[in-house]
Order: sequence, then structure tokens, then C-alpha cells
Amino acid sequence: MDRRILGVLGALAITLTACSGTSVGAPAAPSATTAAASKPDIKVGVALSLTGVGNAYGPVQKNGVELAAERINAAGGANGAQIKLVIEDDQSSPDGGITAFKKLVQQDRVAAILGPTLSGTAVAADPVAQSAQTPVIAISNTGDGIVGKCDYGPCDYVFRVSLGESTAIPVTVKTAKAKLALKAVVLMYAQDDKFSSDGFAIFKKALTANGITIKKEIAYSKTDVDLSGPVTQALAENPDAIVNSSLAGPAIKILQEVGKRKPGLPVIGGNGFNTPAIAASAGAAAEGAISGAAWYLDNPSAENKDFVAAYKAKYSKDPDQFAAQAYSGLYVLLDALKRTPNPNSVLHDKLKAQIELTTGVKTPLGEVSFNKDHDVTQKVYVVQIKGGKFTPIN
Amino acid sequence: MVEQIYNAIFVGSIYALFALGFTLVFSVLDILNLAHPAIFTVGAFTALFVMQAGVPAPLALVIAFVVCGLLGVLLDRVAFAPLRRRGAPPLSAMISSIGVALILTRLIQLRYGPDLQAYPAGSVPSGVIEVAALQLDGLRLAIIIIALALMVGLTLLVRRSALGRQLRALAEDPRAARILGVNVERAIAATFFISAGLGGVAGVLYGFATNSPYSQMGLPFELKAFTVMVVGGMGSIPGALVGAYLLSFGETASLAFLPSELRDAFAFGLLFVVLLVRPNGLLGQKSPDRL
Repeated sequence: MDRRILGVLGALAITLTACSGTSVGAPAAPSATTAAASKPDIKVGVALSLTGVGNAYGPVQKNGVELAAERINAAGGANGAQIKLVIEDDQSSPDGGITAFKKLVQQDRVAAILGPTLSGTAVAADPVAQSAQTPVIAISNTGDGIVGKCDYGPCDYVFRVSLGESTAIPVTVKTAKAKLALKAVVLMYAQDDKFSSDGFAIFKKALTANGITIKKEIAYSKTDVDLSGPVTQALAENPDAIVNSSLAGPAIKILQEVGKRKPGLPVIGGNGFNTPAIAASAGAAAEGAISGAAWYLDNPSAENKDFVAAYKAKYSKDPDQFAAQAYSGLYVLLDALKRTPNPNSVLHDKLKAQIELTTGVKTPLGEVSFNKDHDVTQKVYVVQIKGGKFTPIN
Repeated sequence: MVEQIYNAIFVGSIYALFALGFTLVFSVLDILNLAHPAIFTVGAFTALFVMQAGVPAPLALVIAFVVCGLLGVLLDRVAFAPLRRRGAPPLSAMISSIGVALILTRLIQLRYGPDLQAYPAGSVPSGVIEVAALQLDGLRLAIIIIALALMVGLTLLVRRSALGRQLRALAEDPRAARILGVNVERAIAATFFISAGLGGVAGVLYGFATNSPYSQMGLPFELKAFTVMVVGGMGSIPGALVGAYLLSFGETASLAFLPSELRDAFAFGLLFVVLLVRPNGLLGQKSPDRL
């Protein structure tokens, strides 16, 4: 009896793991293959965090890139050749990323790779593609050392369409200063989270550069169950605004507290603010919050409206920035593939050269180009939550 | 200053409510139930589930208590009872509880995904109460009162009721308790029902306070609850309460007087000093007479 219960539990655990495993790669495999028999398929590798800590992002990125492949292929692919995605799980870890990249490069011999999800994985996995001279387009890495100057040596095969915080935050600060006549602020940040503490350093630099006084710096932990204490400290300084660098969870708690104690006090944040969860959870308290974004849902550009409608039709929910960047990444690659004479060549130097020439590709993010460091240049949307929606103010 | 004290009382109450259920199981059975954070999360999501169907918040709280209580009993039947019957060491039970925690968390993720969720707009009661020059958040006040009431209730249950006597007998010596006519399995089931029910209620209240429940929301509490237990005295219920408020006041005090980077160092340093002076915790005892 006992053994049977344990057995059932064990089987359940295994099934659950297996489920999460299969739901990852198998269903809705992009409908590439045999449509255009004349030209061989172009294989594109995709490495995403479908399991592990990054699985808050990987699955929506997969949605975005699969939607793009489906639509590209329906519209005739790259000069008649269908795009065939090979999606691998990078397991949110450096080792997982290296394994995924090796498989894509050595076994699948893909033309290029999109991913991996996290910056920490990218610095480990990108060298695999670099040494095999296979182009990589980062679709969500925002950290330093991903493109341009890399610690591991040359990284000229690596590109990035995901806007870094070091580009977005200075624009945010400048816009906020102009709109709110900021003179003195309190700067809060989650000190035990790399994304948040990097953002803190960038904010600090940008605030100083814009002549804004930082009255007090307040560190807290991303695992703090309540932030009323730190917010009380911040309000005691009587600042013109609170600037906060964190992911969405702590940001919501701060907005809620500010909303109760001092409604109307502006709160300025980084990329962690750019999720619908902020307005949904903080409600009225989120009104007026300002952040810099690479993309926002209600952007009225034709490419974005088209993307949002198609995404909603396929997945019955709104896309987020990660889905938009993944989707855009494949379109940027498509643009280069179309200009490359023989994209299935074992040598990828021609494709790489064409990606370098990317200028003004129209995507849901706006017009995307690469600078000489292979980093994205696009418009930074400084958005403010008004009526529960992100509204651009620059 | 007064605001910070109020903040500390709120945080302490949430720590305490979480730690109570954790401590209860440990004191009776010597098991560290690491599925407790997952049950806390299930509580918050049970409330989310029924409130999305239109159930009002107070009723959702009661439903979450019952659902989590029953889940606790099931948890014991599936994960702990078989091990207990074979006389497995407490460490095995702890591993078993980790497995359950993973399964529950994954099930929540399959239904809701890993993202932050929100209760339906307007469904969570809110309001600001003005006391003199102070603005106190009504929801937080309600949470403090509910938490205090549950703590008093649990203490009375353990100290004064027949079930409480059975639990204390069980904690002292399961074999002797059985010989004395205590229905041991029933008493254990009651322990798990109360422990998990309290955990679920804590989850709902915390979910309401932040309005951003997510699949891992219980995890940050695990370390805090563990600290609270050790400082208060392993398995001592009043100790857990004292430990919870000590931790929250320590955290808040350091925030007011020291650079914020040092907060955790100060709070945990303070607790370390407590352990140096009283190695068994503030109200800890070496004997099993700790309920």
C-alpha cells in the first residue's frame, strides 16, 4: 500500500517533469518543411530558457519567434526558402546554453542562432558560436559584455536587438527631468539582484549627469516580503520623485506604498517596470509611473498593430516586450537572409556581413539598425502609466 | 517613527502567521515541512481562483483555509505517513516535503504561469483609516488583527483543549501517547490540517497585501520562518511569535538607524547574539515539553 502511494507520487513527479519537458519543444512546431520544394529549408537555431529561473521569459519568447516563423513562411520565406526553427532549452544556465549552442552549431548546422535568454548564459554560450563563426542575434540580453567588447575575446559574430539598460535609462532620466522639473530624488534598488544593481549604477550616473541631486540611496532585498519600511525612509527625505531599480515584484510593492502614503509622487523605473503586471497589481497606485522601454503594447505603428493582433489571435493573450523582441529578431535575420546569396552555405561570413548592413528594418520595436558594436539602435520609448496603459511621453 | 513601528508590527504578524504552521508540525512531529511555502502559495491562488469566479474576499479566505487544511492532511497521508510507519528518519520526511513543494509549485505554474498575478480589480478590500495624524492602511490593520486572533486561538487550542493535550502528549512521546489512548493518526491529521490551514490563510492575507501573487511567493518566507523558529526556540509556539516580531523590529530598526545595505547584517547579527546568550533560542527547551 505504502509503496504504491510512493510509487504513484514518484510517477506523478516524473510525469510532471516530462510534461514540462515536452511542452517545451514538441507542440506547434513551426510549419516549415516541404512547402517550397525547390529551395532547401534554412535552419535557424533558437536557444531559450524554457526551464529554470529564466522560464518567466523563455516560453513567451518561443511564442514570439514561432509566430514570426509561421508568418514569414506563409509569406514565402526567405526568397522562397522556408525558415525551419530548431528550438533548444538553455536551462537558464551557462552549461545548458553551451550544450544547446554546441548542438545547434555542430549537429543541426544552423545558419544563425537567436538567444539565449539570460545575459549570464550568453557570455558562456556565445563563444561557441563565435568560434564556429555562426552569427548570433541576442533577443533579450541587456547586460554589458554581450556585444562590442567581450571578455572572452572577439565577438564579431554576435549581434543584439534587445535594448540595453545603459541606453534606455539615460533617455528615461532626461525625459523625466524635462517633464517633471526634477531637482532631488531618492534612489532605491534591490541590492541582491544583478539586473537591479546594474540598473542602480546606470541610474546614479545618469541622475548625476543631469544635475539631479540624489538625497538618499536605499538598498533593499529582492526577497523582502514588505517594503513599507524602506519607502517610509524614502518619503522622509521629501523627494521630487522616487527612482527605483528592480524587477516587477518589488516595484509593485513600492508603488503600492507610495500610492497610500503620498499619492501622486512620481516613481521612475527601469525595464522591470515594463510589464502589464505593474498596472494590474498596483492599480491606481501605478498611475504616473515612468520607465524607458524598447517596446510598448499600444504603439500605433503598423508593424506593431499587426504583430499584436496576430499574437492575440494565436495565443489569446497580449504579447509582452520579450515576445516582441523575439519576433523582431527573426525578422531582422530574415532581412539579412534575403540579401545573402547562399544562406545555407557552411560558411556564414556572407550572412554575417549582411546582418552588419541591417538598417531601418521595420519591426514592432520600431526601425532597427545595428551600430558598429553590433548593438541595436532604435527609439527608446519613455512611457508613463496613464489609465492603466503605457503611454509614450517623449 | 510611529509609521515604522506600524510597519514592523505588520511584517512581524505575517512572519508569525507563516512560522506558526511551520513550528506546529515541527513541535509535534519533529518534521521540517518544506512544503509549507508551497501551501502558503496554494492559499493565495485558491483565493485568486474563487475570487475570479466572483466569491467575495472574506469567504475566499475561509475557503482557502479549508482547502489548504485538507491539502495538508493529504500531504501527510501521501508524503509523511508512509515514511512514519517505516520509522524513517526525519531527514527523509524533509526530502519528501521538498518533492511535494516542487510538485505543487509546478502545478500552479501550469495553470497560471510563473508571472505575477493580480486579484480581480476592486475585489480586495481597501481603505485608509486616519488615527490622529497617522494614515493607516485598513487592509493591513485587518491583517494584523486576523493574525493576532489566529495566534491567540492556536495558543488556546494547544494549551486548553482536549486536542491540545493530545498534541502535547504526542510531542512528548508518540508511543506513550498511543498507549494512553490517544488516536495518534487523528491527532497528526489535525496537526496538519491546522498547520496547512494557517499557512493558506497567511498566503491569502499576504496575497491581498501585495496584490501580486506568483508561483514562488512562499520562498522568501522559508528562510525567515526558519530563523524565527531557531531564535524563538525550535518548536516553541510562543517562541515563534517572539522571534517573528524580534526579526521584523530588528529589520526596521536597522533601516532607521543604519545604512540600508547593512540591514540584513544587523538583523541577523542581532539574532546571532540572541543565540550566543541562549543557544536553545529565547523560549527553547531541551525537553519535548515545548508546545
